[in-house]
Amino acid sequence: MESLKGIKKRGVKKNRKGQPEGPWVTARKAVQYSTLLFFIVLFIWSQRDGWPANVVDVPVRLDPLLMLSHLIASRTFLAGSALALIVLLLTLVFGRAWCGWICPLGTTLDLFPLRRRDGRRRAPAEGWRSVKYTLLLIILVAALFGNLTLLFLDPLTIWFRTMTVSIWPAADQVITAVESVLYQAPILAGPVSNLDQWLRPVLLPTSPAYYRDTLLFAGIFLGVIALNLFAPRFWCRYLCPLGGLLGVLSKVALFKRQVNEECTGCVLCSEVCPTGTIDPARGYRSDPGECTLCMDCVETCPRGLEAFKPAISFAEWKEYDPGRREALVAIGTAAAAVALFRSDLLARRESPFLLRPPGARENNPDVVAYTKCTRCGECMRTCPTNALQPSVFESGVEGFGSPVLVMRLGFCDYSCNACGQVCPVQAIPPLELSEKRVQVIGRAIIDQNRCIPWSDHRPCVVCLEMCPLPQKAVQVEDTQVWSPDGGSVTLQMPHVVRELCIGCGICEYQCPVSGEAAIRVFSPQAPVQS
Amino acid sequence: MTRLSRRDFLKISAIGVGSLTLGQFLSACTQALSTTPPPTANPVSPAPPTSTPFAPVIQASKAAALPPTGTAPPPSYPDLVVARIGEPEALVRQALAALGGLGRFVPSGANVIVKPNICVAHPYQYAATTNPWVVGTLVKMCFEAGAGSVRVMDYPFGCPAEEGYATSGIREQVEAAGGEMAYMTPLFKYVKTPIPDGVDLKEIEVYEDILKADVLINVPIAKDHSSTRLTLGMKNLMGVILNRNTMHVNLGQRIADLTSLIRPRLTVVDAVRILVANGPSGGGDLNNVKKIDTVIVSPDIVAADSYATTLFENIQPTDIQYIAKAAAMGLGRMDIQNLVVKDISAAGG
Repeated sequence: MESLKGIKKRGVKKNRKGQPEGPWVTARKAVQYSTLLFFIVLFIWSQRDGWPANVVDVPVRLDPLLMLSHLIASRTFLAGSALALIVLLLTLVFGRAWCGWICPLGTTLDLFPLRRRDGRRRAPAEGWRSVKYTLLLIILVAALFGNLTLLFLDPLTIWFRTMTVSIWPAADQVITAVESVLYQAPILAGPVSNLDQWLRPVLLPTSPAYYRDTLLFAGIFLGVIALNLFAPRFWCRYLCPLGGLLGVLSKVALFKRQVNEECTGCVLCSEVCPTGTIDPARGYRSDPGECTLCMDCVETCPRGLEAFKPAISFAEWKEYDPGRREALVAIGTAAAAVALFRSDLLARRESPFLLRPPGARENNPDVVAYTKCTRCGECMRTCPTNALQPSVFESGVEGFGSPVLVMRLGFCDYSCNACGQVCPVQAIPPLELSEKRVQVIGRAIIDQNRCIPWSDHRPCVVCLEMCPLPQKAVQVEDTQVWSPDGGSVTLQMPHVVRELCIGCGICEYQCPVSGEAAIRVFSPQAPVQS
Repeated sequence: MTRLSRRDFLKISAIGVGSLTLGQFLSACTQALSTTPPPTANPVSPAPPTSTPFAPVIQASKAAALPPTGTAPPPSYPDLVVARIGEPEALVRQALAALGGLGRFVPSGANVIVKPNICVAHPYQYAATTNPWVVGTLVKMCFEAGAGSVRVMDYPFGCPAEEGYATSGIREQVEAAGGEMAYMTPLFKYVKTPIPDGVDLKEIEVYEDILKADVLINVPIAKDHSSTRLTLGMKNLMGVILNRNTMHVNLGQRIADLTSLIRPRLTVVDAVRILVANGPSGGGDLNNVKKIDTVIVSPDIVAADSYATTLFENIQPTDIQYIAKAAAMGLGRMDIQNLVVKDISAAGG
């Protein structure tokens, strides 16, 4: 029998990043990269004229945390959410394999291991593992009170939101910048032009997409990655609420890691485990609630003494696993937070700029609570004009990450109903185009102090020209006014017919007045001109 | 396989970024140098981009080169043809045959751009966008005339281009005809171009391919328009520029100024269906659509627009500001009563 010292000296097969190699690890990585690619492809083709909405939604529907909390908060069961049962079932058989093999955020974290220069990482105390369970419980209890705010911390919503709001627009900027430089070279102008004609409709927005607070959302994402500096997969170990949900189920998972009694305690598996759950002090056993089945330990063990085998058993309940304390903290926090949200100004009088996607208001009488939106961001991705943006201020802390229309950055395309089709939980109802066209998103109001004909006495009725309604909501009245050049001039003065306006916002988007538009869409419930 | 070390990667990246920056710097230098002469070889030359040996009648982009009022054009061809019988394809073919065939305007091997009006995403029945078969027929005829490439493009204001192309039905017909639906992107291809003859507008950013095309065929739909009363051929040219909203402070004059820069070799006004109210977007109400099965063709954009006004009730060419301004600038003729007009109607002529 080889000595322990010999094993340590010889080491195990590792790649240059120091990660173990072997058939299981290769298989895991193959699955990880192909599912990541699949998620990216789904993301790319989730725009209009891409793949059907029910395909695009698959990742969100697979997410048991989103589906469960939506079920609790909205008190409605959606047939599509049954897909999440697949993941639950998978977890009952294989434990947190979702985290190790499928989750796009987990794979992203594996791609950026971020070793510190001195090679040391200081993982926080084991007790920190309970944070994810506490978060999970807060989410579920808050959902009971009709609140889904913290779903912005679900790994899928983080990943998709960041892709939509930060990564893709930034990638577009980079690609366009490179193109525009290459385009200057006469020989390259033609090929660059052709490349762009092919690339842009498939991958990139026609005109650059702008999102408010894109840095904030990118920052959250980078922060999650940066935590890898303290411990590999810090997010998955300590914070991820979905990981918490799957972790609890993993306690009774069929396949569990088992260590042969011949183990000599070489410590290699314990060192290599990305979730740090292999405990030398307890005979190198691990907690199935923490294990992501990455198979690193199996490939690392020099004697092949570790394996995942089926066994019906209930794993040991650890110190950090959720207990009465976590439950009390969660109930207290959730109740206090919801009570405070209800005491907020926004609960009494909503922001005048809270413009929800078409039809969402009818579907959600309590728009501030927004009891259905899982913050998945599919609507923002699919919106062809980038009008839909994650809310940061309009609906307060409570509505953080829920969709609002920002008309200066985009408008609600009169011939588009994509957001309702793609919403996995029908927070935005799946309306026919004809139904969607009569939904009142808001009302446009002209600021006569800034409007060019009203204030400068110069012609401009872009708003009228843009209004897409069959019976235009912007109408003009010929008015004789003094001319800036002296004398008098007859001008078309625009007015909005409130009863006709649906608040699609194309007038605000196209208004040539710089800065804030001179015509602006206000929430239909805003206390103005009532 | 050798692995790339971080150091090597950084080196390569630095060289790449450095050369890109240098390229940008150099190109900035050349731009700075060329501020006095026009930035590129052709965009501002008053004549159409090619030497136009094949199109004697309209080589003129300036009115000066057009026959002065009263003088007959080459006897065989009318100034303007209006066809009023048959399906869209037949209308276009009859009209162009009467004008001497498309070969007069499209030299063999030419790089052709067809510019329809695809401003919003409505099906063609709503007459907000150019009739797909009119566009498709033109594409077909360009190839029949020996065109090297035919691209169809517009930059819709009310929807993404893909959506407009598909919903209007134009993509289907253009691709069936072998043409290419091109996108007027990326945005850096809009080049600031002086308008030497502009009265109010002295420069504007124009999509480069439009300036570089050998032949531009303008295919507007005739329809009601809230700001200009009607949108026709000249108004349709606003699709090739980026910043349209600032045009509105002096819309009539500025459209005429733009017309002095962008000189389509042929204007084909689609009036198969016309939108008589709630333009330019229309949509939703078919009562505002009149089917009159008419196509107007002329190398003179002002004449085509002027004639098209007669399709609408109570509108004279002089009522449309941009027509009056363009005629005053000598960009074409609005005195349609003095033009040689061939009207293919009733008898199936």
